Amino acid sequence: MTFHERYLVGCAALAVAALVTVPPAHAQAPTQPQDAALNAEAAQNDWPTYHGTYKSYHYSGLDQINAGNVKNLEVAWMHFPERATRGIQSTPLALDGVLYYSGSYSRIWALDGATGKTIWSYAPELDEELVSKQTHSPYNRGIAIGHGNLYVGTVDGRLIALDLKTGKPVWDTKLLDSKKMTVGFTGAPLVVKDKVIIGAQGGEWPHRGPIFGVEGKTGAKKWEFFTVAGTEEAMKTWGGDSWRTGGGGGWMPGTYDPENNAVWWGTANPAPLYDWAGSDWKKSGPRPGENLYTTSVIALDPDTGKLKFYHQELPHDAWDFDSSVGEFVMIDRGGKKLVVHANKGGHIFVYDRANAKIENVWQLVKNINFVKSIDPKTGELIGRRDLSEGKVDPPLCPAIAGGISWNSGAYSPKTGLFYRIGQEWCMELTVEKSTPVLEPMAQLNIGATFKFIPPPDGPARGHLSGRDPVTGAKKWEVTYKYPPLASVLATAGNLVFVPDAEGIVRAYNAETGEELWSRNNGMGHNAGIISYMAGGKQYIAVPAGWGSLVADEFVALYGEPFKSMSKNTGALVVFALRQ
Amino acid sequence: MRISLVTVASLAIIWPWLSTAAFAQQSTPAGSTSPPAQAEASPNGIDGRKMFSSTCGFCHQDGGRHAGRGPKLSKSEKSDEYIVERIRKGKTGSMPAYGAVFNEAQIGALLAYIRGLDD
Repeated sequence: MTFHERYLVGCAALAVAALVTVPPAHAQAPTQPQDAALNAEAAQNDWPTYHGTYKSYHYSGLDQINAGNVKNLEVAWMHFPERATRGIQSTPLALDGVLYYSGSYSRIWALDGATGKTIWSYAPELDEELVSKQTHSPYNRGIAIGHGNLYVGTVDGRLIALDLKTGKPVWDTKLLDSKKMTVGFTGAPLVVKDKVIIGAQGGEWPHRGPIFGVEGKTGAKKWEFFTVAGTEEAMKTWGGDSWRTGGGGGWMPGTYDPENNAVWWGTANPAPLYDWAGSDWKKSGPRPGENLYTTSVIALDPDTGKLKFYHQELPHDAWDFDSSVGEFVMIDRGGKKLVVHANKGGHIFVYDRANAKIENVWQLVKNINFVKSIDPKTGELIGRRDLSEGKVDPPLCPAIAGGISWNSGAYSPKTGLFYRIGQEWCMELTVEKSTPVLEPMAQLNIGATFKFIPPPDGPARGHLSGRDPVTGAKKWEVTYKYPPLASVLATAGNLVFVPDAEGIVRAYNAETGEELWSRNNGMGHNAGIISYMAGGKQYIAVPAGWGSLVADEFVALYGEPFKSMSKNTGALVVFALRQ
Repeated sequence: MRISLVTVASLAIIWPWLSTAAFAQQSTPAGSTSPPAQAEASPNGIDGRKMFSSTCGFCHQDGGRHAGRGPKLSKSEKSDEYIVERIRKGKTGSMPAYGAVFNEAQIGALLAYIRGLDD
């Protein structure tokens, strides 16, 4: 063999070896978000967890798209999920240029982040008969990634792990007896170390709102924390047997503070929503006592599920102004390590991250009359309006949909501003005595009839404001005729994106609130919005699709355009700068 | 089409024995087409109003007198059969199916409550 022949053979051998040893591009992709990315303030190339990072800023550090060029933002690609019943309500994730998102019935898609090309899809087989009997169904609000898996909950009570590369099921664990309790999982899971954590639905549903810790690799349930009477201390705050039907689901994903090894989670209201005991609520009514740990923020040890500390934002919540918002904004200021959390009633609570002691409470929403105020030093409710059976006069503010809805705001470390949607509306309310219905399935336990009305100071409306997250000092505010119900995104490009209820995505100057760009997606938004990098290019991804339970109220409240808005459809719309 | 007063009277007589215990009974399987008993207004002892406020009022505002997530029900022009069928089977993406949850007497009490609503 001549040198030339040997050279050719050698080259061929090297080429064969390269073909054998070099896996396809996607097989090289990381299947586990890095700790550094999860703990960062800003999501960078990826959006690895529901709230962007554990800091819960819903903030992207990408700035290719910025206040100077956002006018050139246009649709890059779209994806249309099938069976988008009640629209799309989920927040996508992105990892190494692949976008993952969920739709109704917990259907999952993995898409090439640059082109939208489908890599894999997955549709679990659900108990459709059960689904047809559920009120808070069949939407899904998000997913989690970790341990090489993608995790999604189902409305029939399961947590499913899929192989992140292939979409093939790895394990499928039944956590809730949804046939008995009616409810299942709609919220995104949260990956913390070796665990996947997920909370059950249920405020107006008579159960005990458990939160589960499941081993990521195997699907084995490792712990279960009852948000209703989950400790001996809490049991004493439920008169009689009322703890058995207390509600309190942790239905939105919280976040993780690695420094204190604490999972922060918000809990739902107790059942029934409206208590007829009036001022005697500690001793009488359907659920006498403070009703721990409903309408609370709780900190759990992710390894054991044990409660570390908590704060009950509204002791004995008699108004359905729960603490379910899962966004816990972790801010360091003046040597203090703080957590900022929005309560549905319209107040923002600021806590010490080490123990949930109150650092401040401020009011985001103007029309609030369920309390006169909340003590900013102690968190004590001042002048609370406890309701008795019969018509409530004057009407209750805010309405049952809350001053703050379940989707998330955003915080920009660059501007130091917290961007949060507030809602101004009230409701006429008549409180009724009710009895929990448990057989053959659990039923809603509302305990009232109600009707939305405008607030005293003007029309029912929404607003986005840019504020200091700790003091609430307002820098700017934009008002909306119809309250936006989607999450907000802030970026290092000095932008704040708001997908609104009419179907328009708007981009504002993060410093001033000046509107810089908008695009009509054709249907209202109920979901999250993220930014990520694929192929060296920044993208903004937002699902459009109308139909949450709060969105359904808009027809009666506003008529058009919501009367004619399709609600069982949706599209993932992805934007990029024009080439 | 409205359902006869004889049936209405029968329901009113048996209701006191149904009350809370009835909540634990199994209902007629979903898909049954026979309409339940119905009254012009809830007879004494029937808690159609409480059932409504506990479950249905979440979507049908002001006790069914006003649209909300669901439509206004008072003075509905829909037939009894239509309303009963909607309660039993629900509507995907809008209303849960209660056919396997509420028994015939309970659905009858809800219908009676709805038919008795003023505006």
